[in-house]
Parts: sequence; C-alpha cells; structure tokens
Amino acid sequence: MRALEVGSLVLAGLSVLFLVVLSLQRVRLGMSERRRVELEARLRPIALALVDEGRMPRPLPARVAGELSAILDRYSRRLRGDARARIAEFFESSGAVDEQVRLLRHRRAWVRADAAASLGAMGSKRAIEPLLAALDDPVRDVRSAAAYTLGRLGALDAVEPLLAALEEHRIPRAAVCSALLDIGADAVPRLLGLVEHPDPIERSTAVELVGLLGDAADGRLLVERLIDTSADVRAHAALALGRLGAGDAAAAVRALLGDRIPFVRVAAAEALGLLRDSEAVEELLNQARRDSFEPARAAAEALARIAPERVAAEAAQPQPAGPHLLEAADLIAL
Amino acid sequence: MTEPDSKTVLIADDDADIRELVAYRMRRSGYAVLEAANGEEALELATGERPDLAILDVMMPRLDGFEVARRLRAQDETAGIPIILLTARAQDADVARGFGAGADDYLRKPFSPQELAMRVQAILGRR
Repeated sequence: MRALEVGSLVLAGLSVLFLVVLSLQRVRLGMSERRRVELEARLRPIALALVDEGRMPRPLPARVAGELSAILDRYSRRLRGDARARIAEFFESSGAVDEQVRLLRHRRAWVRADAAASLGAMGSKRAIEPLLAALDDPVRDVRSAAAYTLGRLGALDAVEPLLAALEEHRIPRAAVCSALLDIGADAVPRLLGLVEHPDPIERSTAVELVGLLGDAADGRLLVERLIDTSADVRAHAALALGRLGAGDAAAAVRALLGDRIPFVRVAAAEALGLLRDSEAVEELLNQARRDSFEPARAAAEALARIAPERVAAEAAQPQPAGPHLLEAADLIAL
Repeated sequence: MTEPDSKTVLIADDDADIRELVAYRMRRSGYAVLEAANGEEALELATGERPDLAILDVMMPRLDGFEVARRLRAQDETAGIPIILLTARAQDADVARGFGAGADDYLRKPFSPQELAMRVQAILGRR
C-alpha cells in the first residue's frame, strides 16, 4: 500500500515537473519568436535598400546575417531583373553562395538538398555548374532540389540534362517540368531540338513543353509528331498545336480523330476545339454520338466551343443526341 | 522623399512582402502610398481616398483584383483611376479578363520594381 502511495506521489510530481518544463519551453519559444520579429522589423529597411538601391549592408553578426538572408530569400521569390541580381550579388560577396556550393558535397543528404534549395533563393548563376553536377547525386531528393533550383536560376544549359534525367527516371516528372517551365520561352529552341529524340518520354515531354512555352511558329516541327509511333507523343503534339493556335495544322489534327488509341482521340478533339476548327464539326458530331465515353465527351466539349448553335440544334432534335451533346448543350445554356 | 503635392498610389496585395517592395519603390519615386491587404480594403481606400493610381493583385482574399477593378470602373468617383494589375496569372485569357475589367496595364509576378515604377510613371505622366 505504501509503495503504491509513493509511486502515485512520484508520478504526480513528474507530471507537475513536465508541465512546468513545457510552460517554460513555450515561454522561451514565444520570447525567441518575438525577438526574431523585432530583428526582422529592424532588418527590413536594410533589405529593401539593398534590393531597391543596391546599398550593400556592412558586415553583420552571424545570427543577424541569417535573418537578413531569410528576408532576402523571400524577396528573391517575388522579384526579377536588377532587384534579383542585387540579391545574388549580396549572397556572392558575403560568401554564402560558396558555402552552400560546398555543402552540396556534404555527407548528409538532407544538408545537400537544403543547400540546393537555398541556392535557388540566392539567385547566383555561379551555382549553375555545381547544381548540374548535383543532378547526378545518389539521392533522389537532392537531384529534385537541384532540378527545381536550376529552373529558378533560368539555367538554359540544364534543359538537356533535365530531360535526360527524366528519361532515366532519376528525377520526377513534376520537378523536371516545373524547372523547364521556370526557364521559360528561352528553353524552346533547345526543346525543339529534342522533339525527335529516340526516347518517347523525352519526345513527349519536349513536345508538351513547346506547346506551353512556344508560339504558333514553333508548330511546324510538332505536326510531324502527329504521326509518331508513341501514342503519348501524338496526343501531346495535338494538344500543343491546339494551345499554340497553329491553325495550319488543323487538317493533320483532324486525322487523329480516327486514331485507334482513345486518349489520342480525346487530345485531338480538345485541340480542334482550341483551334475553333469549323471543318471538324461533322467528324466531332460523329465522335460525340458514337465513340466511347471520354472521346465522345471531349468531342462534345470541342463542339460547344466551335459551333454552340449546332450543339443546341442537335440537342433539340426529336431523336436523342446522346448524353454528351445534351450535357454540352446544357452547359452552353447556363 | 514624398513631395507635398505628390501623387498617391494605392497598393493592394495580400502578400506583405510584395506590398513592402512596391511601397518602397513608389516612395522612392516620390509618390505617397496607401496599402490594402485585401480587395474590400482596397475598394474602401480607393473610394475614400481617391488615389491617382491603383496597383492591384489579382488573387486577393474577399474580392479579387478583377472584381475590384470592375467595381472601381462602375463608380463615377473612381472610374478614372488608372489600374495596373500585378499577378502571377499571366495566361492570355487572364490578361484579356484584366483588360476587360478595366485595367490599364498588366505586370507579371515575379516582378521588377524598376519596370513597375516606369509603367506607373508612364501612366501618371500622361495625365
């Protein structure tokens, strides 16, 4: 009985001690956050003067410099042009870029990934070469972080290595596409050089990205991809031509409505809708009435863009027009 | 830096960093600045203070930039305020929607403060 009482008292004591420690910890964290907010308020004018006027701050103690870096990191995500270049200059002159480049070879993977991400915020072109090397890091997270950062840095030399890494499944598709989209329209000439690559994954990604980043003049090379052996490439080529508004390619896209692969017919219908191809109306009507679910629905949606009055007329016929044309007519009437 | 007869620019963005960056540049260019963190606040400030120009983010809480622009254009007292939309949404359709809502200019995020200042100057210099 006595042992039980002693045990209870010890447990109660430990609980109280635990609560006291928790409360103290909370107070300590609150104070630390308050100090950080105050420090940030003092540093913000310095960061703004650097970004807007190029006024370099004098050397700061490590903790203060770390907080200034955090503010500049946030600003750099929101800026481009001279203002972003000044942030890069600051990080280069303070030695922070060299330090992060050194950390890309750290033995711990999370440190390497963190360094790769930090280099993106610093915006220094000096980091491009080491980051290209990091695309071959043994750890996937590090390779992905390097890919995202190369995109943020607008590294044109990363276009081919990124697509090669995608082909070899070394970097996730989302990371590669995000990086290439960040590089932007400047990447299009290099992407056009890859639309005939032997690997279908590289071809299809290059074609898709040309559709997102290019303009109608880039459509000429994509027309040849409409008869690619890979269905994925054919579908992406059709959609890309639609997005680019390549009206000259409409007849070639129309031919894909007869493709044996359903998702290619879906892409062809969507592309014809984007191109507002009035010559495709009869074929799309046929597809909307007779094809399987997805291609039929895509055809009806394309018709709603091209010839809404025709969709309404078909839906009003005594014979049932089919669920997809009726749905499209309902959407038009909204 | 603000001159006594300086023109006033309204900056509406829910991102405090963007507001700071734009406000700093505008003040350095000699403008007085009003700041709003959402669309409703922007509309209130524009109606009450009649700024000479409004820089509106598109994706704002409560009222988006398109809607603020549309309502400013619909009120007689604010219909003449030039509007620059500042946004990450830069698809053609978004640009068209912005101009349709009454915007005078459009700037893509990430943005260049220098370019923004030049556009503000160009619009206010014409008036």
